[in-house]
Amino acid sequence: MATVTSKLKQLTAPDPLARMPDPWADFREIEIIQLEWSQTYRHSLGKYSRFFIELENKRFFATRCPNCAKVWAPPRPVCPDNLTITEWVELSGRGYVVSFSVLHYAPAMAASLKTPYVLAYVKLEGADTLFAHLLKNYGELSEVRHGMPVQVVYNDGPVDHPILSMAFEPAEGIRD
Amino acid sequence: MAMLDRKVVLVGGGITKFAADRVDASVRDLVVEAVMLTIEDAGVDLQSVEHGLTSYESDHFNRQMTLGAILHDHIGMVPKPNVRVEGGGATGALALRTAFAYIKGGLCDSIIVYGGETNGKSVTSDTAQQFFALSSDADWEMMVGGTYTAYYAAMIREHMRLYGTTERQFAHISVKNRRNAHYNPIAQKPMDLTVDEVLASAPVAEPYKLLDCSLLSDGAAALILATEEWAANHSTQWSRRPAVYFVATGCGTDTMRLGDRPQPYPGLAHFRGKREAARQAYQMAGITNPRRQIDVAELYDSYSGVELQAYEDLGFCDYGQGGPAAERGVFDMGGELPVNTSGGLLGRGAPVGATGLAQAIEVMLQLRGEADSRRQVPNARCGLTDTHAGTGTHCVVNIFERQD
Repeated sequence: MATVTSKLKQLTAPDPLARMPDPWADFREIEIIQLEWSQTYRHSLGKYSRFFIELENKRFFATRCPNCAKVWAPPRPVCPDNLTITEWVELSGRGYVVSFSVLHYAPAMAASLKTPYVLAYVKLEGADTLFAHLLKNYGELSEVRHGMPVQVVYNDGPVDHPILSMAFEPAEGIRD
Repeated sequence: MAMLDRKVVLVGGGITKFAADRVDASVRDLVVEAVMLTIEDAGVDLQSVEHGLTSYESDHFNRQMTLGAILHDHIGMVPKPNVRVEGGGATGALALRTAFAYIKGGLCDSIIVYGGETNGKSVTSDTAQQFFALSSDADWEMMVGGTYTAYYAAMIREHMRLYGTTERQFAHISVKNRRNAHYNPIAQKPMDLTVDEVLASAPVAEPYKLLDCSLLSDGAAALILATEEWAANHSTQWSRRPAVYFVATGCGTDTMRLGDRPQPYPGLAHFRGKREAARQAYQMAGITNPRRQIDVAELYDSYSGVELQAYEDLGFCDYGQGGPAAERGVFDMGGELPVNTSGGLLGRGAPVGATGLAQAIEVMLQLRGEADSRRQVPNARCGLTDTHAGTGTHCVVNIFERQD
């Protein structure tokens, strides 16, 4: 008898609607197998690359539209409001929390994050959009609120993805 | 907007049992089951249907690309034409909108729209969260630990700040939808809950708790759409029951990242894409007072608070009134405008490619007067479905009417 190494189980499955007679009576013997699938990507960060490279230099860059002056953070190589090529501008990295969530489960790709952790939407000084990132070293969760002043901090350790070279931390008040 | 003077009807529809683990069926089995139920309901020989339309979101859950080719083949539709439609969470509703255009445009007189998904146990729930997170901005939001629950949580928190919306108010919606699911035989998870039990369930991404979150499901659904003439000539059931017309469709979009949306509207708290989709659909259907003119609605309750926010952008109530109206029972069975009589994504379940189709089937049953008597809205004549992808990134509103 052949051995199927991927076989997880074999069972007789009931009709989920318990019909009498079961129209699929001859098809109730079920086999479940395990499939593996993983892959590695060579992923260009393209025209967004300078943002990530500058994070390594502890500098925070956004892009400004020369046409409408809107500042995009995260940056966009083209301002979608008028399809104009933007220019890089450096921001202070200071801002305040607009909204946030406290996560008790991390997705598989961020499994290294210790729960609970805070994902914050931050209005940065000089930017017209909100930037979403982790808020670290917030002390007590009850301290995290709309209007909380924060600043970009840079990570010296090795990181999986360049976006993790930064995070937010509480700052002295620029706005409350 | 000029439209060919062809009316589109729902000839019939079918839906499988939704479950967390349809261990007895692969995705192709599920879609075949749904199609067989559909032709029985429609009273149609599938050989006479001219066109196919495949509705599914993800290649990842099934480890199979071009699933449409397999499904179209397995239901005996080859060599007739087929098209696959994908729009994230809105896939099923976008599929119906596409079918509407195919018929309106005269490309065909009849089309079968079929779709399904195995989001339940084919991968672990961690991996499922990961797959769904890939449908957010993978470079900018997912890698910092973002999940859809967290994005939606930030949205409802902002709504709470702006309007004083409470966790009790959106918990009420979870209680309502899971209660409604009791009377829907294909529903995945009917529950008798109290608001306090929802509030006491485990936090997932605060302020959302486990019982505020919709289900991961296996299941499939299908519908046959046609012109009136085609239905009269090809369906043995058409003249025997109330006729349901697909009268209007609207579609709206918003930026992928929540943070890129303009302030103050939509900001983080509102669904601009839904408002736009509804505006178009209401104009096409001649609806000026949705709360009064719509009798039954299936809303995209991926999270309990999302339904509350949708009441406002769909014009069912004023901004900031979604919470109080939910608590007063406006959208309960027996209320002014019952919402999610099927149980919704919270109680019936949500196999993505089938979700929008399942919503339309619920409205079809309601308009025919064929829903279980405990969930039937009396004399329902106009029904709406609201379906979206992302955090309202891609939104579709479809409107159906009984005409007799």
